[in-house]
Amino acid sequence: MSEAAKKPMITDVFVAGARKGWNIAVSSTIPNVMMAFVIIKGLVITGALGMIGQVFAPVMALVGLPGEAAAVLMGAMMSMGGAVGVAVGLFDSGALTGDHLAILAPAIYLMGSIVQYAGRILGVVGTEAGKIPVMFGICILNAFLAMFIMNILV
Amino acid sequence: MSNDAKENKVTLGNLIALGFAIVFFSGLLKSNEWWGLFDFTTLNGAFGRIGDLGSFRGSGGGGARDGFIFAFTLVPTVMFAMAMIEVLEHFGALDAARKLLSYVLRPVLGVPGESALALIASLQSTDAGSSITRGLLDEGKITKDESDTFTMFQFSGGAMLVNFFSSGAVLFTLTNADGSPAVTASIGLCVAVMFIMKIVGANLMRFGLRFSAKKKGDVVESKAAAARG
Repeated sequence: MSEAAKKPMITDVFVAGARKGWNIAVSSTIPNVMMAFVIIKGLVITGALGMIGQVFAPVMALVGLPGEAAAVLMGAMMSMGGAVGVAVGLFDSGALTGDHLAILAPAIYLMGSIVQYAGRILGVVGTEAGKIPVMFGICILNAFLAMFIMNILV
Repeated sequence: MSNDAKENKVTLGNLIALGFAIVFFSGLLKSNEWWGLFDFTTLNGAFGRIGDLGSFRGSGGGGARDGFIFAFTLVPTVMFAMAMIEVLEHFGALDAARKLLSYVLRPVLGVPGESALALIASLQSTDAGSSITRGLLDEGKITKDESDTFTMFQFSGGAMLVNFFSSGAVLFTLTNADGSPAVTASIGLCVAVMFIMKIVGANLMRFGLRFSAKKKGDVVESKAAAARG
């Protein structure tokens, strides 16, 4: 490998990275966030969001969050980007504050996209079926521990 | 997949790149003074405001259309974050992390140091991480129990860096009505908490497996004892 000849300019590297970011934004971020906003709209006009808020209020209160935050975590299991969209939608409507978002941010990823990743990680490595529910459980536990920690820190 | 070809020396430059990466996303140097040059949020900047009407997204929207316009405001943050990660990677920040990790993987996760490449890969791509892990298992470089522990690490917070910087980072661009940043934690704090919890989760798996193996061992022993008795 002739390194000297192949060394790219730092500006080229930056632009290549920005292009990757554009592709992620267009193929993942925008569609996921849009879907999340449609779901929120549905939850709001049917009154389901209020119900989620009431049902989950006692559990979420343990980590300093209102019950509506449960909607973010449910979305997270399907899609991390979607959950961020839900979180922002709830922030806009006043159901969540900036502090709540800080508590939720690590948790969204710790239990994020696990439905999808069950195939893409556990399936590829060949994890035994019996251990899969345990791994789901640990992800959710991880998320709750992270919210507990963030609640103390913010 | 052999990783000995990738075992090239980590230079001082790589370590500086890693240090820079940590400072850059930590929020420590967030400022409008010159040192703001070394802070992600500062350089990411802000959208302009239209008179007193706020940003171009406006307010009171909802549904798919509002979702699209909001998602559109996220694009520059995603592009900038991915561009910076590409530059930091170019300067070997992740190589330095891989080298440093290879010394601590055995005590921290109970997996051999040669898993460091898979670990670093898994922070960026779940598919790369899981396929390299499968390779390590097939080649007998890690045991079944080690692979379960390591898989747990990858499963919670999969592709943490790319996923977080391509969506979560945008939470930090939200502002309160008065224009002050809404989220009260830094990107760096969130990344640190996620990474620590990934390790905690993997260790729950690690010690759970050890415990159940011991219990199984006891059962076998007591059965053997009963048979003998």
